Amino acid sequence: MLDGLNLNYRRIGLQAAFWAVMLILLMSILVNFVNISNTNQLSAYDDDWNDMSAFRQDIKDMGIQTNSLVSSPLLLADIEDPRNTTYILAGVERDTLSLPQFDSDGFITIAAEDGYSPSEIDAIVEFVDAGGTALVLDDYGFAGSIAQAYGVRYTGYQLFDTTYVQELDYNYIWMCVQSTPCGMNGTTIDPETISVHERWSGQSGEGTHPCNRMNGQSMPLEDAGLCAQHWVDGEIQYNATYQMLLNNITALELIPGVSGALSEVSIRAVTSNEATVDVNGDGEIWVGNEINSETPDLWGQFNLSIEACARKSCDPNEGGKIVFMADGSALINAIYDYEGFNDAENPLYGTNDCVTNNTKCIPENDNRKWAMDFIAEALMSSKIGEEGQPSENAMVIFDESRHPQNALLADSYNTVYFLLVYFTGEGLAMLLLFLGLFIAFEAVLIKKRDPEPWRHVFSIIYYGFGDANRYTYYSKTDKIRQVFLSKVRNQNGLSREEFHAMPARELVALINDPVLAKFAIEPGKYSLEQTVAVVKRIKAWGRT
Amino acid sequence: MWTRKASFTFTGGIALILIGMMIANLQMMILGLTFIAFIVVNSWISGHGDVEVQRTLSADNLYKGDDLYVELLVTNRSNRNTQLLEVYDNIPHEMKLRSGLNQMRLNLKPGESARIRYVLRCPLRGHFSIGPVSLRSRNTFNLGVEEMLVDHHSDIVIFPQIKEVEEAFLRSRTPKMYTGATTLRTPGQGSEFYSLREYVPGDPFKNINWKAFARTGDLMVNEKCRDAVTDLYILLDSRDIARIGTVLKNPLEMGTVSAASLAAFFLKRRDSVALAIFDDSLAYLPPDTGDKQYFKILSALAGVSPKGKMPLQAVTNSLSGRFSRGSPVFIISSCEGDGTVPAAVRDLVGRGHEVTVLSPSSIDFERLVSRIPRMSYEVLKLERQNRLTTLAGSGAMVIDWMPDMDLSQALMQVRGY
Repeated sequence: MLDGLNLNYRRIGLQAAFWAVMLILLMSILVNFVNISNTNQLSAYDDDWNDMSAFRQDIKDMGIQTNSLVSSPLLLADIEDPRNTTYILAGVERDTLSLPQFDSDGFITIAAEDGYSPSEIDAIVEFVDAGGTALVLDDYGFAGSIAQAYGVRYTGYQLFDTTYVQELDYNYIWMCVQSTPCGMNGTTIDPETISVHERWSGQSGEGTHPCNRMNGQSMPLEDAGLCAQHWVDGEIQYNATYQMLLNNITALELIPGVSGALSEVSIRAVTSNEATVDVNGDGEIWVGNEINSETPDLWGQFNLSIEACARKSCDPNEGGKIVFMADGSALINAIYDYEGFNDAENPLYGTNDCVTNNTKCIPENDNRKWAMDFIAEALMSSKIGEEGQPSENAMVIFDESRHPQNALLADSYNTVYFLLVYFTGEGLAMLLLFLGLFIAFEAVLIKKRDPEPWRHVFSIIYYGFGDANRYTYYSKTDKIRQVFLSKVRNQNGLSREEFHAMPARELVALINDPVLAKFAIEPGKYSLEQTVAVVKRIKAWGRT
Repeated sequence: MWTRKASFTFTGGIALILIGMMIANLQMMILGLTFIAFIVVNSWISGHGDVEVQRTLSADNLYKGDDLYVELLVTNRSNRNTQLLEVYDNIPHEMKLRSGLNQMRLNLKPGESARIRYVLRCPLRGHFSIGPVSLRSRNTFNLGVEEMLVDHHSDIVIFPQIKEVEEAFLRSRTPKMYTGATTLRTPGQGSEFYSLREYVPGDPFKNINWKAFARTGDLMVNEKCRDAVTDLYILLDSRDIARIGTVLKNPLEMGTVSAASLAAFFLKRRDSVALAIFDDSLAYLPPDTGDKQYFKILSALAGVSPKGKMPLQAVTNSLSGRFSRGSPVFIISSCEGDGTVPAAVRDLVGRGHEVTVLSPSSIDFERLVSRIPRMSYEVLKLERQNRLTTLAGSGAMVIDWMPDMDLSQALMQVRGY
């Protein structure tokens, strides 16, 4: 009883240990995939100061559908109308899951690229090739793999420039979207240095912004549609100057000798000539004529925004385009909707120094105008009579798949969704999934059994066997002799002592059979036939 | 539990959804979702409701080889139909289904009952239990199966068969301290008056005391003192070696039959019978007479199983103080594998007991299941004859009981020694 109890405890203990180990293994795997972060930022679906809800709301107000992509850009392959779709990627804060897949040569590889797997990058490239528009806003994140596909590189080091907002700090840097750098005059941008967007203004001679084509047209505000940001006093007054405020930025480089997926690559914004890059990240700038251990940092002019298009004109009807910007936070609520952020009466994004102390207010900027113009160019209908209005299938997709969530369930959901998309979108995973489904079917076929029909089986088969080893022993001459002598003794009513004390001659007389007497007295070798004959004689002996 | 069909439907549904996602085919995904939804909706339809089961047996005790009539009453106590319900009464595999079926498929309406009747043949002695009742319900599309057990058991004891034994060959030379029948001061079958008691239905009319009836107006019956003539001791060898043979023919099985038959015979003669069963320990039932003792002996014999290797001399030594002087002792043993048998028998004979050794021939039982070489068999038989001769020489009556020999026929041999 006690043993049974102990056994039961042991069994339960063993099972508990097994499941504990399984749980630890599962957790160790999940910890790698599910990355819960305390900072949930750059989300178009959250309305903190560092999220992008104001931008999304503006897009929705334009009558454009907005969607989130929480799993993987592999889904871009399923977009029916890429021409009228804009894919916005703001801040790639999380690396991809390294899962096996086919590479371009058809070999199996484990994705090692930052941020996005080769299949996902292919999906983005194919989306842009199909006429889609993409906007990549990142600084120190994992967007490098996408940029590389277009011959662009994020340096990943913090950039400092003289064109920073002195009321705030050196992290807030002005970016003028123009071919030449703008400069500062005191605490503000020198108006003399301000120019216009090279392509949107039509200066380059290759295309222009669609709102520019509506310049001077009189119309009510509600008819201005996607160009409402240029509506002034009853008419469209297109202005191609953009002073964008960035925060904590890096630099972009064109990779020498690498031609990307799109042929027409243009630099849209640069820093001043006095910009520096803190390469060793020590917070100090040491620059010289050459880069060495004493002067490791870089200085000069750096790129802040690069645009790659299929055609020189960047006309969406002629092919897709992708724009890289060296700051992930260019469109966050605090900068994009600075009025709401600074509004002391009705602060939309919580309290801050500007609201409480009227210090460190976000200065007026053109981030919203630039973003709206970007959307307008990408999604404005090209049909006659629909000028200024979004196209019928216009859609903006915000990539939320690389934003860590601050809730276990939300991040787990994203991970599961990612895996689902991976297994139904990636070639090798699909192959594995087919294999898995096949095995599952086989397992069901082989293992799953319906309950057996009940039937009574009458079974009383039982055999009690004796010791078969003794059969050989009982066929030996010595044993036969012993049995025979016992028979002689019993038959004559003799005790063991009497029998043992009996002389041989008397025993022979007692047996009264020469063959058996010889067998009893003279041990010798007997053949099988002789033994059988002797046993027969013993059996018959004494019957009279 | 899901059936195979349900598992296939579910796996197929999942496969259709995933493949639909792979090839961006909405129709395929919808079909897959339909499959899954079908499974989910079906899983809501649970099995049977509250089912009550009652089992009635024709007897609680039977003799080996008799038939047992079983009736199972299944009643639906819930307010809904049972759907397709399979009922199966679990019966021991040692019992043979003689007629009827121990299972049925039902669909009972609320409050409705059904009866399942079947007959079992009980070819083996022992303590058995019929039950529990297994229930299995399936939903309409046979996608889910639910099983449960109704913990309803019926115990039954199968006694060894009682064989007819002819007029006794043995009688104690000194039955008691006194010759002739001795009255015991307990009520029972006898000749001497014990007391008056009220009549209860079933009492024979010949026992009614008419004078007492006339005097009191109530029916009264005479009760008699129990007579005991002889104390008979039966020692049954239930050692492990007694298992040799087939399930129906082995020394122990024949031993139980002979012990039960002898006990029945002597108890019928109003003798007192004691039973000692020795295997790895000694179980002793003191001498007594009457139906109660008969039932006790049969119950004890029903539960005997071969085990252990207790020597006979240990048994006789421990019981020697309890044996009545000169009473007959029956030793039912194959006498194999125990070197103390001659000494034990000699000792009993020396104390004045009339010892009868009923010895099932184990080598012949072994021959039923094993291929024993002829010469070895002959030598083994010779050795067994020597052993029995030794016992006979000690003054015991020895019976060499062959497997195909009837008990009464075997008992006749006692004169041959």
